[in-house]
Amino acid sequence: MVPSFTLFEKLYNFCAVRRKILFSATLLIIALSLLASSRLHLQEDIIAMLPDDSSSVAQDFRLLQLAPFTRKLVITLRGGSSSDSTALIAVTDRLAEGLKAAGIENVMTGPANISGGFFRWLGTSLPNLTTAEDLVRLAAGITPTEVQNRLRTRYEQLFSPEGWALKGSVQTDPLSLSSLALEKMRFLNMVPNMRLVQNHFVSADGTSALLVVDSAVSMTDSGGSRDLLERINRAISSSVPAGMSASVVSGHRYTLVNADTIKRDLYVVLTLSVFAVLAIYLVFLRSLSAVFVFLVPTSILVIATGAIALYDVNVFAVTLGFGGVLLGMVDEYAMLIYFSCRQGGKDPAVITAEVSRPVIFGAVATLISFGIMLLSSLPGQRQLAIYSMTGIVAALLISLIVLPHLIKPLPEVKLSLTSLGGAWRPPRRVVIGVWLAILAICTWQSTNIRFNGQLGAVSMVTPELRLAEEDLIKTWGNMRGKALLFAEETNLENALALNDKLFALISGRIPAGDLVSLAPLMPSDALQRANRERWFSFWQNGRAAQLGRDLAKSGEAYGFSKDAFTPFLATLIAPPPATTVESLRAAGMGELVDSLIIRSPGVVRVLTMVPDTPQVVAALSEEIKTVPGVRLISQSRFGDNVGRAIIRDFTRYLTLTSVLVLALLVVVFRSPSRVMLALVPVVTGLLCTLGIMGMCGIEFNIFNIAATILIIGLCVDYGIFMVCRLTEGSDHTTNRAVLVSGLTTLAGLGALALARHPSMYSIGITVLLGIGTGIPAALLVIPALCGKDTG
Amino acid sequence: MTRILFLFAIALFVAGTASAVEISTTDSSAALFTSLERTAGGVNTISSDFVQEKHLALFKTAMISKGHFYFIKPDQLRWELTSPVASGFVLKGDKGRRWHERTGRMETFQISQEPVMKLVSEQLFAWAKADFAWLTKEYRITVLHDSPAALRLEPRSAATAGFLRHLLINFNADGRYVRSVELHENDGDFTRIKFVNTVVNKQLQADLF
Repeated sequence: MVPSFTLFEKLYNFCAVRRKILFSATLLIIALSLLASSRLHLQEDIIAMLPDDSSSVAQDFRLLQLAPFTRKLVITLRGGSSSDSTALIAVTDRLAEGLKAAGIENVMTGPANISGGFFRWLGTSLPNLTTAEDLVRLAAGITPTEVQNRLRTRYEQLFSPEGWALKGSVQTDPLSLSSLALEKMRFLNMVPNMRLVQNHFVSADGTSALLVVDSAVSMTDSGGSRDLLERINRAISSSVPAGMSASVVSGHRYTLVNADTIKRDLYVVLTLSVFAVLAIYLVFLRSLSAVFVFLVPTSILVIATGAIALYDVNVFAVTLGFGGVLLGMVDEYAMLIYFSCRQGGKDPAVITAEVSRPVIFGAVATLISFGIMLLSSLPGQRQLAIYSMTGIVAALLISLIVLPHLIKPLPEVKLSLTSLGGAWRPPRRVVIGVWLAILAICTWQSTNIRFNGQLGAVSMVTPELRLAEEDLIKTWGNMRGKALLFAEETNLENALALNDKLFALISGRIPAGDLVSLAPLMPSDALQRANRERWFSFWQNGRAAQLGRDLAKSGEAYGFSKDAFTPFLATLIAPPPATTVESLRAAGMGELVDSLIIRSPGVVRVLTMVPDTPQVVAALSEEIKTVPGVRLISQSRFGDNVGRAIIRDFTRYLTLTSVLVLALLVVVFRSPSRVMLALVPVVTGLLCTLGIMGMCGIEFNIFNIAATILIIGLCVDYGIFMVCRLTEGSDHTTNRAVLVSGLTTLAGLGALALARHPSMYSIGITVLLGIGTGIPAALLVIPALCGKDTG
Repeated sequence: MTRILFLFAIALFVAGTASAVEISTTDSSAALFTSLERTAGGVNTISSDFVQEKHLALFKTAMISKGHFYFIKPDQLRWELTSPVASGFVLKGDKGRRWHERTGRMETFQISQEPVMKLVSEQLFAWAKADFAWLTKEYRITVLHDSPAALRLEPRSAATAGFLRHLLINFNADGRYVRSVELHENDGDFTRIKFVNTVVNKQLQADLF
């Protein structure tokens, strides 16, 4: 007697007299799911694959978003063959106006107008900013000879055109002491290859101008990004004359490219899946009842999508893209029910009860596979798990409760495998020999497989985008690719103090042009106090008075009035106002302050930027261990870290899935040999996937790893079905169910392999290989190992 | 700072072109401005000596400097100090050159990349092109005297008016060139540049620029 779950026999009989209610309830659920699906919003960005927990990778990602150029659009305007910077700047201003006319307000073509306010601030802030090292240089600059030389230079400058601007500063700073503070500006150069021409950002070679757009549109908002980029392109078209060109680089472009690609893929994948599955049904099932089998997976898509929309309206596109896979995957339960019920020969209630056992075990194995993904720190994976599990449970219930009532048995004609192309039966030894040979080759080749943990490997980057990014780096230096150091504290003073320590630690190692830090111009209050005390101490013991005498003596020779330098001498000993964020803003450095001091509730971060090279990052990683509270985030290393974290996660889940599936098989079959047999498709599928990918040089990325879990979940179903059939007395309908459902799965996945987006393609190709080899293993190898033929 | 330079540039230009102003702020001035504009149109080169007096509170006495000024329409200019320090600059199109004899410094530059020189040259060339629309926008112009023409220019913008009170421009008898320029600052300091030995439309050596 075939083992069965009598619950489903009773359930069948119960529903048999209430079919209208059963069908109505099913249709109602589908309709409600359709309604719920209509509220979902498609999200196509990489967020799906970035951890959102409290892991260091997740924190790093959040901090990376705070880098000055990460969330901004950078427009490079190229002047063409002409090196006329006047024309370039005129077009830059026209483009900025065009952008404003297009509703894009925050357009920056140069720094805030640094004028007299800035120099006044430099002069008054000197006591706050001057370090002990600066004072050594200062002492060398105020010797009588040096005073005479400097004063002469200033005197002569007054005759020149520039002299018209220098009258005030000659009086307040006749010895140009504020140049000590001015030099500190070297640490605020965020764009390496940039210089200022008429207060505009112009490239070092003078051929390009830079416009920075700060938009409120989130980079993850594909609709907003599309609108924003369209407006920018319109402004470029109307403002940039022939012979000049403008290119835009920003995360928005990546979002849009990925969104467009995924949308196109979704259309292709889902359309092809539906038609391919329908075609397979028509070819192999050739019955009106087959329509109902087809409706099971299609209604599952609706139900799963509706369920996910109820869970979260923001649905990742990759989740829906997986619908094609699900469509081909969940029909195996319906298929087994269909073939068994069509075969007839028994009470449909009894058939349902008998089939329910392998179906439920198979579904549980698949649910385990997906259930494990709920533990993932990647939101996309968790959503995928919910989507798939909902679909599997719905497929299971519809297949076991609703479908049996829709299939009419064929009373006379027995289906045979021969009608499905199973006439030829390969000899057992040949099957086992070939199988072992393939496994050996694939095991050997799997050692060649290369892992690519970079997120870029699963993100769509068009040649145009790559070129624009390369051009940006070539023109301006790698302004978007700096490693970030965050001095993080609960308040500004503590964060600045930490930033001081960091600067003291690294400034000797990294030259000013490469190091971007606020510390030299905005030390903490404590350090400013220390600097001031040192400054006043410096001018004591008659030094200020001596300088006054030297100035008077040298000034006399040039005709300076007696009181000419009184204001200057007074500033040397007068307590200056503290250097604050507000004073920096007033001096025209608001943009810099906002870029480098980042406040969020309860946290203030002061940002320092260094070159993102392996040498610098490796050295700093060690050095900053001595300054707790400083966090180093390397953009290049971040990709590796994410990849490693994801691979680590999935390896763990893979292990857990394998253990749980094995445990399930042990519980179900209670025999080591039958458990081993049930695992044949899984082992074959996994080894062949790795082997073929290794052989073909296909890199293994984070989505391939996710897809291996699917291979386990799908192939173990086939193993369970076949072992149940071969060892527990099920009939040959199982072969047919495995074959046809396998084909539909391949159809769904085959469509996914046609996707252009790397993430979908990766899932598609992996599962295609796994299932493509797992099905023959189930249909041929398990019977051969059992010592039974395939029919 | 830049504003002062900007004014200086205007002074230079006025001295160079003698085009003065053609700002029809009042109907009575219109005839004078038209005349000055017509006269400026006939000036192609200027060669002149100058004496600059800077009356600054910072100094006990006036700072006196002397030098030469050369101009070729539309975009070449040489401003050369001969005493007390030999130094100066040349502007030619978008290129520039400056020197300082004592320090031996000699450097070339691109005008568009030097805000100060950019302002000087911009103003100069604007005047050379007789851009009176721009002048009207920037200054209120009063005719102090018709012949020889004397004008008073007061900045319209509050920012410029913050440090510059006014400019005084005096033309020679036939209105072809400027005899003197005075820049009066709000703090009482002022600068006077007197142009002497001025020759108009003389062939100038190319190597001056």
